[in-house]
Amino acid sequence: MKRNLILTVRLALAALTALGTMESYAWSENTAKDLRGIWQVENTAGQNLEGARVIIEPRDGKIPYIASALNVREANFANRATADPETKCFQPGVPRATYLSSPFQILQNERAIYILYQDVHAYRIIYLNGTPHNDGLPYAMGDSRGHWEDNTLVADVTSFSDATWLDHYGNFHSDALHVVERYTRSDHNTLTYEATIEDPKVFAQPWKIRMPLRLQTKPGVQIFEDECEEDQQGVRHHVR
Amino acid sequence: MRLFLLFLFSITAFAQQAPELRLPRQSDGHPDLQGVWRNSSIVAAFDIEGQTAVYNEPGGASVIVDPPNGKLPYLPAARQQADYNAAHRQSDPVGFCHMHGVPRVLVPPFPLEIVQDSDYVAILSETEHSVRIIPLDGRPHSKNYSAWAGDSRGRWEGDTLVVDVTDLNGRTWLDQHGDFVDQNEHVVERFSLTAPDTILYEARVEDPTVYSRPWTLRVPLRRQPKNIELIEYDCIEGERDEAHYPGKETKKP
Repeated sequence: MKRNLILTVRLALAALTALGTMESYAWSENTAKDLRGIWQVENTAGQNLEGARVIIEPRDGKIPYIASALNVREANFANRATADPETKCFQPGVPRATYLSSPFQILQNERAIYILYQDVHAYRIIYLNGTPHNDGLPYAMGDSRGHWEDNTLVADVTSFSDATWLDHYGNFHSDALHVVERYTRSDHNTLTYEATIEDPKVFAQPWKIRMPLRLQTKPGVQIFEDECEEDQQGVRHHVR
Repeated sequence: MRLFLLFLFSITAFAQQAPELRLPRQSDGHPDLQGVWRNSSIVAAFDIEGQTAVYNEPGGASVIVDPPNGKLPYLPAARQQADYNAAHRQSDPVGFCHMHGVPRVLVPPFPLEIVQDSDYVAILSETEHSVRIIPLDGRPHSKNYSAWAGDSRGRWEGDTLVVDVTDLNGRTWLDQHGDFVDQNEHVVERFSLTAPDTILYEARVEDPTVYSRPWTLRVPLRRQPKNIELIEYDCIEGERDEAHYPGKETKKP
Protein backbone atom coordinates (compact mmCIF):
# COMPACT_ATOMS: atom_id res chain seq x y z
CA MET A 1 0.00 0.00 0.00
CA LYS A 2 2.70 2.40 1.06
CA ARG A 3 4.67 1.42 -2.03
CA ASN A 4 1.67 2.16 -4.23
CA LEU A 5 1.32 5.57 -2.63
CA ILE A 6 4.96 6.38 -3.35
CA LEU A 7 4.49 5.19 -6.91
CA THR A 8 1.42 7.39 -7.32
CA VAL A 9 3.27 10.41 -5.98
CA ARG A 10 6.17 9.71 -8.31
CA LEU A 11 3.88 9.40 -11.31
CA ALA A 12 2.13 12.62 -10.38
CA LEU A 13 5.50 14.40 -10.03
CA ALA A 14 6.63 13.03 -13.38
CA ALA A 15 3.42 14.25 -15.01
CA LEU A 16 3.89 17.71 -13.47
CA THR A 17 7.49 17.84 -14.65
CA ALA A 18 6.41 16.85 -18.14
CA LEU A 19 3.77 19.57 -18.09
CA GLY A 20 6.37 22.09 -17.00
CA THR A 21 8.64 21.10 -19.87
CA MET A 22 5.82 21.33 -22.38
CA GLU A 23 5.09 24.91 -21.41
CA SER A 24 8.59 26.07 -22.19
CA TYR A 25 10.02 25.92 -25.68
CA ALA A 26 11.31 22.57 -26.77
CA TRP A 27 14.83 22.00 -25.47
CA SER A 28 16.87 19.98 -27.90
CA GLU A 29 20.42 19.36 -28.95
CA ASN A 30 20.03 22.34 -31.27
CA THR A 31 19.13 24.71 -28.48
CA ALA A 32 21.61 23.31 -25.97
CA LYS A 33 24.20 25.84 -27.05
CA ASP A 34 21.76 28.68 -26.50
CA LEU A 35 22.68 29.94 -23.04
CA ARG A 36 20.58 33.09 -23.25
CA GLY A 37 18.38 33.91 -20.30
CA ILE A 38 18.42 35.35 -16.80
CA TRP A 39 20.05 32.94 -14.37
CA GLN A 40 20.58 32.72 -10.63
CA VAL A 41 21.90 30.20 -8.12
CA GLU A 42 19.75 28.85 -5.31
CA ASN A 43 22.60 28.43 -2.84
CA THR A 44 24.53 30.52 -0.33
CA ALA A 45 27.99 29.98 -1.84
CA GLY A 46 28.56 33.73 -2.14
CA GLN A 47 28.41 33.90 1.62
CA ASN A 48 30.31 30.75 2.51
CA LEU A 49 31.69 28.52 -0.22
CA GLU A 50 32.67 25.62 2.03
CA GLY A 51 29.33 25.67 3.86
CA ALA A 52 27.29 25.58 0.65
CA ARG A 53 28.47 22.06 -0.27
CA VAL A 54 29.46 23.04 -3.79
CA ILE A 55 33.11 21.95 -3.64
CA ILE A 56 33.32 18.61 -5.43
CA GLU A 57 37.13 18.33 -5.44
CA PRO A 58 38.88 17.65 -3.11
CA ARG A 59 36.30 15.22 -1.81
CA ASP A 60 36.36 16.57 1.75
CA GLY A 61 34.76 19.77 0.43
CA LYS A 62 37.49 22.00 1.89
CA ILE A 63 39.53 24.55 -0.02
CA PRO A 64 43.10 23.16 -0.12
CA TYR A 65 45.03 26.19 1.16
CA ILE A 66 48.78 26.13 1.60
CA ALA A 67 49.63 26.65 5.28
CA SER A 68 50.63 30.31 5.08
CA ALA A 69 47.46 31.24 3.18
CA LEU A 70 45.22 29.82 5.89
CA ASN A 71 46.28 32.63 8.22
CA VAL A 72 45.23 35.19 5.63
CA ARG A 73 41.86 33.52 5.27
CA GLU A 74 41.39 33.64 9.06
CA ALA A 75 42.26 37.34 9.20
CA ASN A 76 39.93 38.01 6.27
CA PHE A 77 37.15 36.15 8.04
CA ALA A 78 37.62 38.14 11.24
CA ASN A 79 37.48 41.44 9.37
CA ARG A 80 34.95 40.45 6.73
CA ALA A 81 32.34 43.10 7.63
CA THR A 82 34.59 45.80 6.19
CA ALA A 83 37.44 43.92 4.48
CA ASP A 84 35.32 42.03 1.94
CA PRO A 85 35.98 43.83 -1.38
CA GLU A 86 32.28 43.46 -2.13
CA THR A 87 31.58 45.92 0.69
CA LYS A 88 33.83 48.46 -1.04
CA CYS A 89 31.78 48.30 -4.22
CA PHE A 90 34.51 46.44 -6.11
CA GLN A 91 33.48 44.16 -8.94
CA PRO A 92 32.79 40.67 -7.57
CA GLY A 93 35.45 38.71 -9.45
CA VAL A 94 35.34 35.21 -10.92
CA PRO A 95 33.91 32.73 -10.01
CA ARG A 96 32.15 34.65 -7.20
CA ALA A 97 30.03 36.68 -9.64
CA THR A 98 28.28 33.45 -10.63
CA TYR A 99 27.02 32.51 -7.18
CA LEU A 100 26.02 35.83 -5.66
CA SER A 101 22.44 36.24 -4.46
CA SER A 102 21.59 38.36 -7.52
CA PRO A 103 20.85 37.25 -11.09
CA PHE A 104 22.78 37.71 -14.31
CA GLN A 105 21.76 37.71 -17.94
CA ILE A 106 23.53 35.89 -20.76
CA LEU A 107 23.45 37.20 -24.32
CA GLN A 108 25.42 35.65 -27.12
CA ASN A 109 26.43 36.05 -30.72
CA GLU A 110 29.10 34.57 -32.97
CA ARG A 111 31.82 36.70 -31.44
CA ALA A 112 31.26 36.04 -27.77
CA ILE A 113 29.14 35.08 -24.79
CA TYR A 114 28.22 38.18 -22.80
CA ILE A 115 27.48 37.76 -19.09
CA LEU A 116 25.80 40.82 -17.61
CA TYR A 117 25.74 40.57 -13.82
CA GLN A 118 23.28 42.59 -11.77
CA ASP A 119 25.88 43.04 -9.02
CA VAL A 120 27.56 46.45 -9.51
CA HIS A 121 26.70 46.16 -13.24
CA ALA A 122 29.81 44.06 -13.79
CA TYR A 123 30.02 42.28 -17.13
CA ARG A 124 32.26 39.78 -18.87
CA ILE A 125 32.82 39.09 -22.51
CA ILE A 126 33.89 35.49 -23.18
CA TYR A 127 35.36 35.65 -26.68
CA LEU A 128 34.66 32.65 -28.92
CA ASN A 129 36.67 33.91 -31.89
CA GLY A 130 39.93 32.15 -31.09
CA THR A 131 41.71 35.30 -29.96
CA PRO A 132 44.48 34.93 -27.36
CA HIS A 133 44.32 36.16 -23.76
CA ASN A 134 45.31 39.65 -22.75
CA ASP A 135 47.78 38.23 -20.29
CA GLY A 136 49.27 39.75 -17.16
CA LEU A 137 46.73 42.51 -16.59
CA PRO A 138 45.11 43.06 -13.19
CA TYR A 139 41.43 42.64 -14.02
CA ALA A 140 38.82 42.13 -11.30
CA MET A 141 36.74 40.02 -13.71
CA GLY A 142 39.69 38.43 -15.52
CA ASP A 143 40.21 37.94 -19.24
CA SER A 144 37.94 35.22 -20.67
CA ARG A 145 38.43 33.17 -23.84
CA GLY A 146 35.95 30.41 -24.58
CA HIS A 147 35.26 27.49 -26.84
CA TRP A 148 32.63 24.78 -27.14
CA GLU A 149 33.30 21.18 -26.15
CA ASP A 150 30.19 19.42 -27.43
CA ASN A 151 27.37 21.36 -25.77
CA THR A 152 29.54 22.80 -23.00
CA LEU A 153 30.93 26.31 -23.07
CA VAL A 154 34.45 26.16 -21.65
CA ALA A 155 35.87 29.51 -20.55
CA ASP A 156 39.51 29.95 -19.68
CA VAL A 157 39.94 32.93 -17.38
CA THR A 158 43.30 34.57 -16.59
CA SER A 159 44.72 38.05 -15.88
CA PHE A 160 43.30 38.57 -12.43
CA SER A 161 44.06 41.16 -9.81
CA ASP A 162 44.28 40.01 -6.19
CA ALA A 163 41.56 42.50 -5.22
CA THR A 164 38.57 40.14 -5.14
CA TRP A 165 37.53 37.37 -2.78
CA LEU A 166 35.82 34.05 -3.45
CA ASP A 167 33.10 34.52 -0.81
CA HIS A 168 32.16 36.74 2.13
CA TYR A 169 33.86 34.35 4.58
CA GLY A 170 37.29 35.53 3.51
CA ASN A 171 38.24 32.85 1.02
CA PHE A 172 40.64 34.54 -1.35
CA HIS A 173 43.11 34.19 -4.19
CA SER A 174 46.19 35.92 -5.56
CA ASP A 175 46.95 37.46 -8.95
CA ALA A 176 48.07 33.97 -10.03
CA LEU A 177 44.44 32.82 -10.11
CA HIS A 178 43.44 30.75 -13.11
CA VAL A 179 39.84 29.60 -13.52
CA VAL A 180 38.43 27.17 -16.06
CA GLU A 181 34.65 27.37 -16.17
CA ARG A 182 32.23 24.95 -17.80
CA TYR A 183 28.66 26.05 -18.58
CA THR A 184 26.25 23.30 -19.68
CA ARG A 185 22.56 23.85 -20.34
CA SER A 186 21.56 20.49 -18.93
CA ASP A 187 17.85 21.18 -19.43
CA HIS A 188 15.78 24.17 -20.44
CA ASN A 189 15.68 25.65 -16.96
CA THR A 190 19.11 24.58 -15.70
CA LEU A 191 22.60 25.77 -16.44
CA THR A 192 25.15 23.58 -14.75
CA TYR A 193 28.16 25.61 -13.69
CA GLU A 194 31.50 24.07 -12.93
CA ALA A 195 34.75 25.87 -12.18
CA THR A 196 38.25 24.56 -11.63
CA ILE A 197 40.23 27.00 -9.54
CA GLU A 198 43.99 27.02 -9.38
CA ASP A 199 46.39 29.45 -7.79
CA PRO A 200 49.78 28.02 -6.78
CA LYS A 201 50.47 31.00 -4.49
CA VAL A 202 47.42 30.17 -2.35
CA PHE A 203 46.23 26.61 -2.99
CA ALA A 204 48.12 23.34 -2.69
CA GLN A 205 46.17 21.84 -5.60
CA PRO A 206 43.45 22.83 -8.06
CA TRP A 207 39.94 22.45 -6.69
CA LYS A 208 36.55 22.32 -8.23
CA ILE A 209 33.05 23.62 -7.59
CA ARG A 210 29.78 22.65 -9.26
CA MET A 211 26.28 24.04 -8.90
CA PRO A 212 23.05 24.46 -10.86
CA LEU A 213 21.85 27.86 -12.03
CA ARG A 214 18.12 28.29 -12.55
CA LEU A 215 16.46 30.12 -15.40
CA GLN A 216 14.41 33.02 -14.00
CA THR A 217 11.05 32.69 -15.70
CA LYS A 218 8.82 35.16 -13.87
CA PRO A 219 7.09 37.29 -16.53
CA GLY A 220 8.83 40.63 -17.00
CA VAL A 221 11.94 39.55 -15.07
CA GLN A 222 14.83 41.91 -15.72
CA ILE A 223 18.27 42.84 -14.46
CA PHE A 224 17.99 45.98 -12.38
CA GLU A 225 20.67 48.58 -11.96
CA ASP A 226 22.91 48.11 -8.92
CA GLU A 227 25.04 51.20 -8.48
CA CYS A 228 27.14 51.08 -5.34
CA GLU A 229 28.71 53.71 -3.15
CA GLU A 230 30.56 53.19 0.12
CA ASP A 231 29.98 55.23 3.27
CA GLN A 232 32.32 56.58 5.95
CA GLN A 233 32.70 53.11 7.40
CA GLY A 234 33.49 51.62 4.01
CA VAL A 235 30.21 49.77 3.85
CA ARG A 236 28.39 49.61 0.56
CA HIS A 237 25.11 51.24 -0.23
CA HIS A 238 23.00 50.93 -3.29
CA VAL A 239 22.25 54.32 -4.67
CA ARG A 240 19.48 55.18 -7.02
CA MET B 1 5.04 75.32 -63.56
CA ARG B 2 4.45 72.13 -65.44
CA LEU B 3 8.12 71.94 -66.23
CA PHE B 4 8.97 72.36 -62.55
CA LEU B 5 6.62 69.52 -61.62
CA LEU B 6 8.21 67.34 -64.26
CA PHE B 7 11.58 68.22 -62.79
CA LEU B 8 10.41 67.18 -59.31
CA PHE B 9 8.99 63.98 -60.71
CA SER B 10 12.25 63.03 -62.35
CA ILE B 11 14.15 63.66 -59.12
CA THR B 12 11.75 61.37 -57.27
CA ALA B 13 12.08 58.72 -59.95
CA PHE B 14 15.84 58.98 -59.76
CA ALA B 15 15.76 58.63 -55.97
CA GLN B 16 13.65 55.51 -56.30
CA GLN B 17 16.07 53.99 -58.76
CA ALA B 18 19.11 54.67 -56.59
CA PRO B 19 20.55 51.38 -55.33
CA GLU B 20 19.37 50.61 -51.83
CA LEU B 21 22.04 50.89 -49.16
CA ARG B 22 23.07 47.37 -48.26
CA LEU B 23 23.07 47.27 -44.47
CA PRO B 24 24.04 44.30 -42.34
CA ARG B 25 20.82 42.68 -41.17
CA GLN B 26 19.86 40.06 -38.62
CA SER B 27 17.81 36.98 -39.47
CA ASP B 28 14.67 38.80 -38.31
CA GLY B 29 15.28 41.44 -40.99
CA HIS B 30 16.18 44.31 -38.68
CA PRO B 31 19.45 46.17 -39.18
CA ASP B 32 22.29 44.50 -37.30
CA LEU B 33 23.73 47.10 -34.94
CA GLN B 34 26.22 44.68 -33.39
CA GLY B 35 29.84 45.65 -33.13
CA VAL B 36 32.15 47.98 -31.25
CA TRP B 37 31.34 51.66 -31.78
CA ARG B 38 32.70 55.00 -30.68
CA ASN B 39 31.84 58.64 -31.03
CA SER B 40 35.15 59.99 -32.25
CA SER B 41 34.37 63.65 -31.56
CA ILE B 42 35.92 64.70 -28.29
CA VAL B 43 34.53 68.17 -27.79
CA ALA B 44 31.02 67.06 -26.81
CA ALA B 45 32.44 65.18 -23.84
CA PHE B 46 33.50 68.59 -22.53
CA ASP B 47 30.50 70.63 -23.61
CA ILE B 48 27.59 69.41 -25.72
CA GLU B 49 26.90 73.05 -26.63
CA GLY B 50 30.35 73.20 -28.24
CA GLN B 51 33.16 75.45 -27.13
CA THR B 52 36.20 77.31 -28.31
CA ALA B 53 39.48 75.57 -27.61
CA VAL B 54 41.11 76.33 -24.28
CA TYR B 55 44.24 74.91 -22.70
CA ASN B 56 43.88 71.10 -22.47
CA GLU B 57 40.45 71.10 -24.11
CA PRO B 58 39.61 70.99 -27.80
CA GLY B 59 37.20 73.35 -29.51
CA GLY B 60 34.34 72.35 -31.74
CA ALA B 61 30.71 72.75 -32.68
CA SER B 62 27.61 72.01 -30.64
CA VAL B 63 26.09 68.55 -31.08
CA ILE B 64 22.65 69.97 -30.33
CA VAL B 65 20.65 70.05 -33.55
CA ASP B 66 17.41 71.33 -32.05
CA PRO B 67 17.02 74.17 -31.15
CA PRO B 68 18.88 75.21 -34.29
CA ASN B 69 21.12 77.65 -32.42
CA GLY B 70 22.78 74.66 -30.69
CA LYS B 71 22.06 76.01 -27.21
CA LEU B 72 20.27 74.23 -24.37
CA PRO B 73 16.89 75.90 -23.71
CA TYR B 74 17.36 76.28 -19.95
CA LEU B 75 14.71 77.75 -17.71
CA PRO B 76 16.20 80.76 -15.87
CA ALA B 77 16.73 79.01 -12.49
CA ALA B 78 18.26 75.97 -14.22
CA ARG B 79 20.60 78.24 -16.19
CA GLN B 80 21.91 79.49 -12.84
CA GLN B 81 22.44 75.91 -11.63
CA ALA B 82 24.27 75.05 -14.85
CA ASP B 83 26.54 78.08 -14.45
CA TYR B 84 27.20 77.08 -10.85
CA ASN B 85 28.04 73.52 -11.94
CA ALA B 86 30.37 74.86 -14.64
CA ALA B 87 32.27 76.74 -11.95
CA HIS B 88 32.39 73.58 -9.79
CA ARG B 89 33.33 70.94 -12.30
CA GLN B 90 34.87 68.81 -9.56
CA SER B 91 31.25 67.92 -8.64
CA ASP B 92 30.82 65.97 -11.88
CA PRO B 93 29.25 62.64 -10.76
CA VAL B 94 31.48 60.78 -13.21
CA GLY B 95 34.43 61.95 -11.11
CA PHE B 96 32.97 59.87 -8.29
CA CYS B 97 32.85 56.71 -10.38
CA HIS B 98 29.18 57.02 -11.19
CA MET B 99 27.57 56.09 -14.44
CA HIS B 100 27.23 58.70 -17.14
CA GLY B 101 23.46 58.43 -17.54
CA VAL B 102 21.54 58.90 -20.77
CA PRO B 103 22.36 60.35 -23.27
CA ARG B 104 25.82 61.15 -21.89
CA VAL B 105 27.04 57.53 -21.95
CA LEU B 106 26.95 57.56 -25.77
CA VAL B 107 28.82 60.85 -26.14
CA PRO B 108 32.41 60.67 -24.78
CA PRO B 109 34.97 58.90 -27.00
CA PHE B 110 34.92 55.58 -25.11
CA PRO B 111 34.21 52.39 -27.03
CA LEU B 112 30.91 50.61 -26.53
CA GLU B 113 29.70 47.27 -27.78
CA ILE B 114 26.18 46.59 -29.00
CA VAL B 115 24.83 43.05 -28.66
CA GLN B 116 21.50 42.39 -30.34
CA ASP B 117 18.98 39.63 -30.92
CA SER B 118 15.25 39.68 -31.55
CA ASP B 119 14.45 40.12 -27.86
CA TYR B 120 17.12 42.48 -26.56
CA VAL B 121 19.63 45.11 -27.49
CA ALA B 122 22.38 45.57 -24.90
CA ILE B 123 24.82 48.45 -24.87
CA LEU B 124 28.00 47.64 -22.98
CA SER B 125 30.12 50.68 -22.29
CA GLU B 126 33.76 50.47 -21.46
CA THR B 127 33.49 53.50 -19.21
CA GLU B 128 32.26 52.62 -15.71
CA HIS B 129 31.56 49.14 -17.09
CA SER B 130 28.01 50.35 -17.43
CA VAL B 131 25.42 48.24 -19.21
CA ARG B 132 22.04 49.07 -20.63
CA ILE B 133 19.79 46.09 -21.34
CA ILE B 134 16.96 47.16 -23.63
CA PRO B 135 14.04 44.72 -23.95
CA LEU B 136 12.28 44.79 -27.34
CA ASP B 137 9.25 42.73 -26.35
CA GLY B 138 6.92 45.66 -25.73
CA ARG B 139 6.79 45.22 -21.97
CA PRO B 140 5.82 48.33 -19.98
CA HIS B 141 8.35 50.42 -18.07
CA SER B 142 9.20 49.31 -14.52
CA LYS B 143 7.15 50.80 -11.73
CA ASN B 144 8.64 52.77 -8.84
CA TYR B 145 12.10 52.54 -10.32
CA SER B 146 14.91 55.04 -10.50
CA ALA B 147 18.35 54.46 -11.95
CA TRP B 148 21.42 56.27 -13.24
CA ALA B 149 20.88 54.71 -16.66
CA GLY B 150 17.09 54.80 -16.36
CA ASP B 151 14.72 52.14 -17.61
CA SER B 152 14.92 51.51 -21.37
CA ARG B 153 12.33 49.98 -23.72
CA GLY B 154 13.11 49.57 -27.39
CA ARG B 155 11.14 49.10 -30.57
CA TRP B 156 11.84 49.20 -34.28
CA GLU B 157 10.38 51.97 -36.39
CA GLY B 158 11.33 50.81 -39.88
CA ASP B 159 15.11 50.50 -39.79
CA THR B 160 15.52 52.75 -36.74
CA LEU B 161 15.82 51.42 -33.20
CA VAL B 162 13.81 53.74 -30.97
CA VAL B 163 14.48 53.54 -27.23
CA ASP B 164 12.26 55.19 -24.66
CA VAL B 165 14.12 55.93 -21.43
CA THR B 166 12.32 56.84 -18.20
CA ASP B 167 13.01 56.48 -14.46
CA LEU B 168 16.27 58.42 -14.71
CA ASN B 169 17.50 59.44 -11.29
CA GLY B 170 18.27 63.06 -12.13
CA ARG B 171 21.74 62.97 -10.57
CA THR B 172 23.65 62.89 -13.84
CA TRP B 173 25.31 65.59 -15.86
CA LEU B 174 25.33 65.83 -19.64
CA ASP B 175 28.98 66.82 -20.04
CA GLN B 176 31.98 67.99 -18.03
CA HIS B 177 30.73 71.55 -18.29
CA GLY B 178 27.94 71.02 -15.77
CA ASP B 179 25.00 70.84 -18.16
CA PHE B 180 22.49 68.73 -16.29
CA VAL B 181 19.07 67.11 -15.99
CA ASP B 182 16.83 66.34 -13.04
CA GLN B 183 14.54 63.44 -12.15
CA ASN B 184 11.91 64.57 -14.66
CA GLU B 185 14.21 63.74 -17.57
CA HIS B 186 12.69 61.65 -20.33
CA VAL B 187 14.77 60.60 -23.33
CA VAL B 188 13.77 59.13 -26.69
CA GLU B 189 16.80 57.77 -28.51
CA ARG B 190 17.04 56.82 -32.17
CA PHE B 191 19.77 54.51 -33.48
CA SER B 192 19.95 54.49 -37.29
CA LEU B 193 22.50 52.57 -39.28
CA THR B 194 23.07 55.14 -42.02
CA ALA B 195 25.98 53.20 -43.53
CA PRO B 196 27.47 49.79 -42.69
CA ASP B 197 30.01 51.47 -40.42
CA THR B 198 28.02 54.41 -39.06
CA ILE B 199 25.20 54.66 -36.55
CA LEU B 200 23.58 58.04 -36.36
CA TYR B 201 22.63 58.43 -32.70
CA GLU B 202 19.99 60.95 -31.79
CA ALA B 203 18.55 61.71 -28.37
CA ARG B 204 15.55 63.90 -27.75
CA VAL B 205 15.61 65.06 -24.15
CA GLU B 206 12.67 66.57 -22.35
CA ASP B 207 12.74 67.75 -18.78
CA PRO B 208 10.08 70.38 -18.09
CA THR B 209 11.60 71.46 -14.76
CA VAL B 210 14.98 72.23 -16.35
CA TYR B 211 14.25 73.12 -19.99
CA SER B 212 11.61 75.33 -21.58
CA ARG B 213 11.25 72.87 -24.49
CA PRO B 214 12.55 69.45 -25.60
CA TRP B 215 15.92 69.48 -27.33
CA THR B 216 17.82 67.02 -29.48
CA LEU B 217 21.48 66.05 -29.78
CA ARG B 218 22.99 64.01 -32.58
CA VAL B 219 26.36 62.27 -32.82
CA PRO B 220 27.71 59.72 -35.30
CA LEU B 221 29.05 56.48 -33.84
CA ARG B 222 31.80 54.94 -35.94
CA ARG B 223 32.39 51.20 -36.16
CA GLN B 224 35.73 50.19 -34.66
CA PRO B 225 38.03 47.63 -36.28
CA LYS B 226 37.14 43.95 -35.71
CA ASN B 227 40.07 43.34 -33.36
CA ILE B 228 39.02 46.06 -30.91
CA GLU B 229 37.88 44.65 -27.56
CA LEU B 230 36.41 46.51 -24.61
CA ILE B 231 38.82 46.32 -21.71
CA GLU B 232 37.95 46.35 -18.04
CA TYR B 233 37.41 49.83 -16.68
CA ASP B 234 37.44 49.83 -12.92
CA CYS B 235 36.86 53.13 -11.20
CA ILE B 236 37.89 52.99 -7.55
CA GLU B 237 37.67 56.07 -5.40
CA GLY B 238 39.99 54.72 -2.76
CA GLU B 239 38.52 57.15 -0.27
CA ARG B 240 35.14 57.35 1.33
CA ASP B 241 32.68 59.62 -0.24
CA GLU B 242 29.77 60.37 2.04
CA ALA B 243 29.60 63.93 0.73
CA HIS B 244 28.22 62.65 -2.53
CA TYR B 245 25.36 60.62 -1.17
CA PRO B 246 21.94 61.36 -2.57
CA GLY B 247 20.77 64.69 -1.19
CA LYS B 248 24.22 65.67 0.00
CA GLU B 249 25.67 66.84 -3.29
CA THR B 250 26.83 70.40 -3.49
CA LYS B 251 23.85 72.26 -4.81
CA LYS B 252 23.60 75.90 -5.66
CA PRO B 253 24.16 77.97 -2.49
